[in-house]
Amino acid sequence: MLQRITCVDHIKIDSVSFSSIFQIGDSEQILAVSRALAVQREAEIFFDNEGNFDAFPVFSEAIPFQPPDEEIIFSTHNLNPVLKVRNIDILGASSSSIVHLGNSRNIAMEARVKHIRQLLPRNNNSGEEGI
Amino acid sequence: MNFQVYNRDICVGDIRVIGVSSSSLLMVGDAETIQLAATFDTPAESLIVGPFVPLSPDIS
Repeated sequence: MLQRITCVDHIKIDSVSFSSIFQIGDSEQILAVSRALAVQREAEIFFDNEGNFDAFPVFSEAIPFQPPDEEIIFSTHNLNPVLKVRNIDILGASSSSIVHLGNSRNIAMEARVKHIRQLLPRNNNSGEEGI
Repeated sequence: MNFQVYNRDICVGDIRVIGVSSSSLLMVGDAETIQLAATFDTPAESLIVGPFVPLSPDIS
């Protein structure tokens, strides 16, 4: 069957960072994984060589995936084999993300993020409610 | 299930996106399979109040 082609007149991306990809043209298989420890501290303090993904289950737990339980007979008819876009404007692509112009076959992408907030000790005599 | 798709004219004017992040995908084209997964952990479960101690070191 005739594949569709992508026609983009103009595209502008300001930044592509942290293992992100801007792909022009077809691809076959994409596997993208992003892991992040997002630590915020109340004071400006940074320790070198800290953070171990193995210490947090969010980075190792299985993400359940439900495969289709029914056979799907799938057919596409590309009556107009051109996907046309006049203009694309993207500020940023980050953390194993992909901007893709063209066709692909199998795409699998995964993101795991752990947010940690560290606050200074509070005085509890003020009667203030905790966060 | 019998699933039939008729792709007629697709003509888009402007796409304006602020950010594509954390294993996200912006695609102009066709794909056979797309599988996306994400886990996310955020306070209150991971709120630490007290003296600043480093996280366990990176041993890898």
